[in-house]
Amino acid sequence: MTTLLDIIRLLTETPLVFVAIAGLTWGILGGALPGISASITMALVLPFTYTMDPAQAIALLACVYIGAEYGGSIPAILIRTPGTNSSAATVIDGYELNRQGRAGEALGISLMSGVIGSLFGLAMLILLTEPLSWLALAFTPASYFGLGILGLSVIASMSGGSLIKGLAAAIIGLMIATVGTDPISGVTRFTFDIPDLLGGVEPVLVMVGLFALTELMCQSGSTTVTQLNQKIRIKLPSLAVMNKLKRSQFIGCILGLFEGLTPGGGGSIAAFMSYNEAKRWSKTPHLFGKGSEEGVAAPEAANNTVASTALIPLLSFGIPSSNSTAVLLGGLLMHGLIPGPRLFEQSAQVIDSIYVGSFIAIIAQIGVGIIILPACIWLVNRPRPYRAGFIFALILSGIFTLNNSLFDLGIALVLGLVGFLMRLAGFPVLPMILGVVLGHMVESSYRRSLVLSGGDHMIFLQDPIAVALLSIAFIFVAFSLSRELREARKAKIEEVPS
Amino acid sequence: MRKDLISGLVLLAVAGIYYSWSGAIADSTLSDEVGAAGLPHALAVVLAILGTLLIGRTLLARKPRTVTVDDSTDESDAGLPRAVGFLLFGAAYVIVLPFAGYVIGTALLIGGVALYEGAARNWTVPAAAIGGGVFYWAIFVKLLGVHQPVGSLIQGLF
Repeated sequence: MTTLLDIIRLLTETPLVFVAIAGLTWGILGGALPGISASITMALVLPFTYTMDPAQAIALLACVYIGAEYGGSIPAILIRTPGTNSSAATVIDGYELNRQGRAGEALGISLMSGVIGSLFGLAMLILLTEPLSWLALAFTPASYFGLGILGLSVIASMSGGSLIKGLAAAIIGLMIATVGTDPISGVTRFTFDIPDLLGGVEPVLVMVGLFALTELMCQSGSTTVTQLNQKIRIKLPSLAVMNKLKRSQFIGCILGLFEGLTPGGGGSIAAFMSYNEAKRWSKTPHLFGKGSEEGVAAPEAANNTVASTALIPLLSFGIPSSNSTAVLLGGLLMHGLIPGPRLFEQSAQVIDSIYVGSFIAIIAQIGVGIIILPACIWLVNRPRPYRAGFIFALILSGIFTLNNSLFDLGIALVLGLVGFLMRLAGFPVLPMILGVVLGHMVESSYRRSLVLSGGDHMIFLQDPIAVALLSIAFIFVAFSLSRELREARKAKIEEVPS
Repeated sequence: MRKDLISGLVLLAVAGIYYSWSGAIADSTLSDEVGAAGLPHALAVVLAILGTLLIGRTLLARKPRTVTVDDSTDESDAGLPRAVGFLLFGAAYVIVLPFAGYVIGTALLIGGVALYEGAARNWTVPAAAIGGGVFYWAIFVKLLGVHQPVGSLIQGLF
């Protein structure tokens, strides 16, 4: 049980404060760079957390996520280019305010709405995560199999319009997860007598390869030039303005909570949904699209809420609902931490660090956000060729740090190429990452269940939790499949007149 | 459409290769009913089915009546050689690192990538490259205490 003294100790502990602010700063800088999403920003720092204390490492990643969600709004407002996917909705009115010479106000509204969203999300995270995680105590191997399948069903809504491609990507991820030592019999699989492969392919290499390296390859040769005005300063909103924005911020918080809890939800959907709802409930809907302050507040409150609430299914059950939470799950697994009630019992320090570190980062965001803006603008203004070189060197240095292994660098480079080819062919990468991350859990719980039942598959239908989880997974997949078929039919009908 | 057809064929090939490799997995007396090769076999079969479905869906797709632009010439395709070229700098880094060491290897990587990405050929490139190499060395090796390769070249000199 965490006492108030524990929280005060953590709050006053210098390393955690330092880690939280460092993570936040890194997150804002990464999020502000167009093309570098929150998950890439987290993946870049992931290898460096390998040697850190697990509690601080996970807190750092959570704070990077919080920072990146705010950082993404900076280029969205200033150059009409969202730094992260979830800040795409902020572009609509944020950039319009900038054109009206009110960039400082827009950045201030974005910052404060983000702080409110993050605080709300953190409160929900603290209230809901532990009670939900206790459900997992009743889990049998069959339930864990159902949970793994539910986690994989996220693929259905992340397949970008082609369920076949999403499933194929997931299968390839599962294939990568089979490399190494078999979890039941201990024999080696697909290691080709290479000692470096005995432990399998680390999820962190897959994430860095598929997210960060692929993105750098995609941006290679790009001639886009981004230049920001160095003189812009943040203007925090007055109390009167904040009072005017409370309805849109409330909408953003509620939708952010809902989307954070939903597998396959995420900041982008929450931001666009809250933009629409804020417009619907606004007293001045005609201003939306023409520089509405509410049009900035709602999506920013929503995507920052998601940065905390997306951790609820992750910490309770180990289900990553987005790219960023998949990276965070990679961080947990890298430190031998398994989400669920045992994490709360055996590694309470990690949970406390996430809560306290996130709180520090959210509060510090106001000061850091103001101070760091010139640095963000400086960074975005650096010539792209040099930026690419420095980021590439940072990625490769980080990977080497993991195991001091050149072989790891080779694996990450190959996966970068695989990710690029997948993107070229229209295959989503998240299902592949989910396959790698959840593969071990799915296989070992499936086989353990069969060992317990003497090979009888009915065990999966006799366990009520497994039945419930498998049913939800089935509904997710069926819903996505019907949506895909509906869209294909609609496209066909539209094609006929032409 | 052509991309989906090629993707389907690639999936079939991957499934075939993976299946044949999974045949080499050794049996164990500790093995359960499914066995160490059970999941790999199943995955290969499912991937083959998905590949076939993708090919089938592409071939069965109604051909549009109007003339369409061939999707093989879009912007992403044009970037493939360029992107692979970018990745080769990483491969060169892996080869050079044990010999040249971290500072020189990193400097070469930053300079090479900057030039490849279109930086103007002037003094800024070597300055940024050397500065970057030293900067990362100071952060990783000196500040964070992370071990990075010294390099046989540097070891030979000192």
